[in-house]
Amino acid sequence: MSRIGVFICHCGENISRTVDVERVAQEIGRLPGVSFSTDYKYMCSDPGQNLLKNAIKEQKLTHVVVAACSPRMHEKTFRKAVEAAGLNPFLCEMANIREHCSWVHENREEATVKAIDIVGMMVERVKKNRVLPTITVPVTKRSLVIGGGIAGIQAALDIADCGHEVILVEREPSIGGHMAQLSETFPTLDCSQCIMTPKMVDVANHPKIKLYTYSEIERVEGYIGNFQVTIKKKARSVDEDKCTGCGVCITKCPQKKIPNKFDCNIGLRSAIYVPFPQAVPNTPVIDRDNCTKFKTGKCGVCQKVCGPGAVDFEQQDTLIVEAVGAIVVATGFDLYTIDEKPKGSPIKGYGEFGHGKIPDVIDGMTFERLASASGPTGGKILRPSDGKEPKQIVFIQCIGSRAREKGISYCSKVCCMYTAKHTMLYHHKVHDGQAYVFFMDARTPGKSYDEFWRRSIEEEEAVYIRGMVSRLYQKGDKVVVMGSDIAVGVQVEIEADMVVLATAIQPQKGADSLAQKLGISYDKYNFYSEAHAKLRPVECATAGIYLAGACQGPKDIPETVSQASAAAAKVMTLFSKDQLEREPIVARVREFGCVGCFACKKVCAYGAVEEKEIRDRQGNLVKTVAFVNPGVCAGCGTCQATCPSKCVELDGYTDEQVIAMIEAL
Amino acid sequence: MTSLIDTTIYSAITEAIRVEAARILSEGEVTAVVGYAAARRKGSAQPIVINTAADAGQLIFTPSCVNNLAVYLTKAKKEISKTGKIGIVVKGCDLKALVGLMGESQLKREDMYLIGVPCIGVLASTVQPATGLTAETIAPKCTECDAHLPQGCDFVPAQTPVVTKLEHKYAAEIARLEALTPAERWAYWKEQFTKCIKCYACRQVCPFCFCEQCLCDRNKPQMVDTTPRPAGNAAWHIVRAMHLAGRCAGCAECERVCPMDIPLNLLNRKMAMELKELYDYEAGFDVLDKGPLTMFTDKDDQSFIK
Repeated sequence: MSRIGVFICHCGENISRTVDVERVAQEIGRLPGVSFSTDYKYMCSDPGQNLLKNAIKEQKLTHVVVAACSPRMHEKTFRKAVEAAGLNPFLCEMANIREHCSWVHENREEATVKAIDIVGMMVERVKKNRVLPTITVPVTKRSLVIGGGIAGIQAALDIADCGHEVILVEREPSIGGHMAQLSETFPTLDCSQCIMTPKMVDVANHPKIKLYTYSEIERVEGYIGNFQVTIKKKARSVDEDKCTGCGVCITKCPQKKIPNKFDCNIGLRSAIYVPFPQAVPNTPVIDRDNCTKFKTGKCGVCQKVCGPGAVDFEQQDTLIVEAVGAIVVATGFDLYTIDEKPKGSPIKGYGEFGHGKIPDVIDGMTFERLASASGPTGGKILRPSDGKEPKQIVFIQCIGSRAREKGISYCSKVCCMYTAKHTMLYHHKVHDGQAYVFFMDARTPGKSYDEFWRRSIEEEEAVYIRGMVSRLYQKGDKVVVMGSDIAVGVQVEIEADMVVLATAIQPQKGADSLAQKLGISYDKYNFYSEAHAKLRPVECATAGIYLAGACQGPKDIPETVSQASAAAAKVMTLFSKDQLEREPIVARVREFGCVGCFACKKVCAYGAVEEKEIRDRQGNLVKTVAFVNPGVCAGCGTCQATCPSKCVELDGYTDEQVIAMIEAL
Repeated sequence: MTSLIDTTIYSAITEAIRVEAARILSEGEVTAVVGYAAARRKGSAQPIVINTAADAGQLIFTPSCVNNLAVYLTKAKKEISKTGKIGIVVKGCDLKALVGLMGESQLKREDMYLIGVPCIGVLASTVQPATGLTAETIAPKCTECDAHLPQGCDFVPAQTPVVTKLEHKYAAEIARLEALTPAERWAYWKEQFTKCIKCYACRQVCPFCFCEQCLCDRNKPQMVDTTPRPAGNAAWHIVRAMHLAGRCAGCAECERVCPMDIPLNLLNRKMAMELKELYDYEAGFDVLDKGPLTMFTDKDDQSFIK
């Protein structure tokens, strides 16, 4: 016999203003099975919870219904209170008489009757509730970090320093990402590589970090605490164990005129190469598309000169499977390409700015390489067309960003600051040069950021022109920039030697296909979505997967590093226990009736349904049935709705409970 | 009386089926063959399972071979398929059921030896077995058949079915019902369902009703009223129609076996039309991992979200 306790909350006046709570308590108190029914001003308050706990003990209650707000708000609160009083938390249900009743009605009499119905339904439902034990799943205390830029490096180091093994996977031949390409960083103008490379070396030397460069994620299976990740290690054509990194192969390679992607294609590299001198690992890779040996079968110089015999033309792509418990996604960004638009992309190009056609119109990252001491010009600002030093330089902000009509409505966040930095770097290197900046407005929130921007104008002589550029064209060896200065209201025409476009930040190419492998959501720009914009900014909605850096949205370095450390902290929280506790609201298959049509498996969005063989004592196969892995199941109930013979039940939401609710009406 | 539809190829087909069945049984390729044999009444036929080559002479194919034998591979004769690989005589319409069953993990292609029948048509359930095949006596499903020659079988006799173009009987009836007002249409179906005696013959004969425990037999909680009363009858037939949507390929066995002559296949055809319209999908042609109703794509019709 049930002894149900019902607690009607006034929610201050939120409920009691429209619903006669005393009458609800009285009427519900008459229902069979209800042995205690009362109302209280704030059930969620400490006294309210104590009222509930005491009633459970004094009245020897077996089930509890709290009629208050949405279970989204306080279900956890009351279930914890019920647990503290010695009952299984899943014997407590909430009846929503606020959002579903008092807030949406005005007539007190009708709202009261409806509230009685809602609570009465939950009373009938709770009678059918069963004791549900909390589900525990084991946690593999190893982590995967995807992307070896500053975000991935920071997350990997933090997790590894905590004593947990980390698998760091990087698509390019070296870790470092975009930060390794930058010359100096705002707002302190310290050399990017000087602060980046020590961290890269730390990664290489860390006993807890297993580094896979030139590798990609092929497949991800499993669930929080228990992921199986298949990594494709692309053929490097150089044996990493034998190679000493002496670099003789690179010097001797006869094919030396390949544009270097790391230098934004303005520098050249050989067919066997390391992308930049500080690369980690310092193991060369053969670019098979451009190598003479792979193209014609002749050459093989690198193999001949290699002392340890590390060059291996026969090397194949290999697949490696790693078991991990958590995944940090840190795939970073790519720059908006002005001239080339991927097929089918809704985003339009900026043909009018002549990028790709006029050689002296470059993007911000190319300028970083020109300004970098390790870049193709050795740190001298020289324009790509004829190698002359530009004396008049124009920077144009918001290329792609904040242009709804072109397809991107967001602000790329870092361009205002890096353009200010560019004007300074330019002024430091070309003392007699003049920098102009076309801008919409300067967005410089951040510690010491606005001061930095002011400095570029007040001390570094950059001329900021508020307004956008309408047209660019080549005139002799000059690039004529036509724009408007809306502050003064005049048209401006500048004959520039070089133009730098601050192009928008976009997610990496292929971000969507990686998201599909991981089962995480992404927005229309392919930026990965966090579980909650404010309160869960580093977690994905998919349990066990965390986000760090610009793959989630445009970010500067300090923000990226903070988020990476936050993601690492989330991973460490997960790893702090041997067993992970999960809510037992999961689907269960009644194997007796299951005929194995696997409609449930087909509709499961989480891959939680498996095939299970039922054998008799002699080991003969009786039948194959569906099995729901409780560690993966998210309790959405789609399988329950799909099963034609209703052989899948969702614990806590069984057909019996739902029908009892309907019959109570 | 309209002219007879020429079914003379059926005797040659019968001969070819016998030879092939004898061969696969004697060579041990299969342990049994499910086919048709003559029944006691003149001109009638019944399903038969043979296990030896000597029995192959009993197999026939005539306009009375109406049964969908697919049901013998799943629930009706479960013990047959446990003996090993099974040969089965299939018309194009029956093959569609097998294709569906393979997609739902109930059968495996390698466990079956398919003897396809080039079929011109079979008799309607409402006429006597010995009647000649005409535009009047042909089964309604055969007027809309798009699988006279089954595809992808292990063996198909060489005869080519010469098909007479006939008026599509179901399409015509659906068009008639669609022209009614919703109230009139509901009145029509209510009357049909009122006739139902809940014998569940439609369920027993349907190859897709392979659940071991039908939800309509559940009593805790009871989903559908089990007594033959109007409300429970309508619930049963709606459940049946919904569960067959995207799966039923129209063998019309439900309609054939209904002792109360409820036009059950009309519901199935209407659901098939909906599937065709919404997802450009026709059941029974390809073994699919996921049908349109177990899959979500961006292109799915979302006009129902108001």
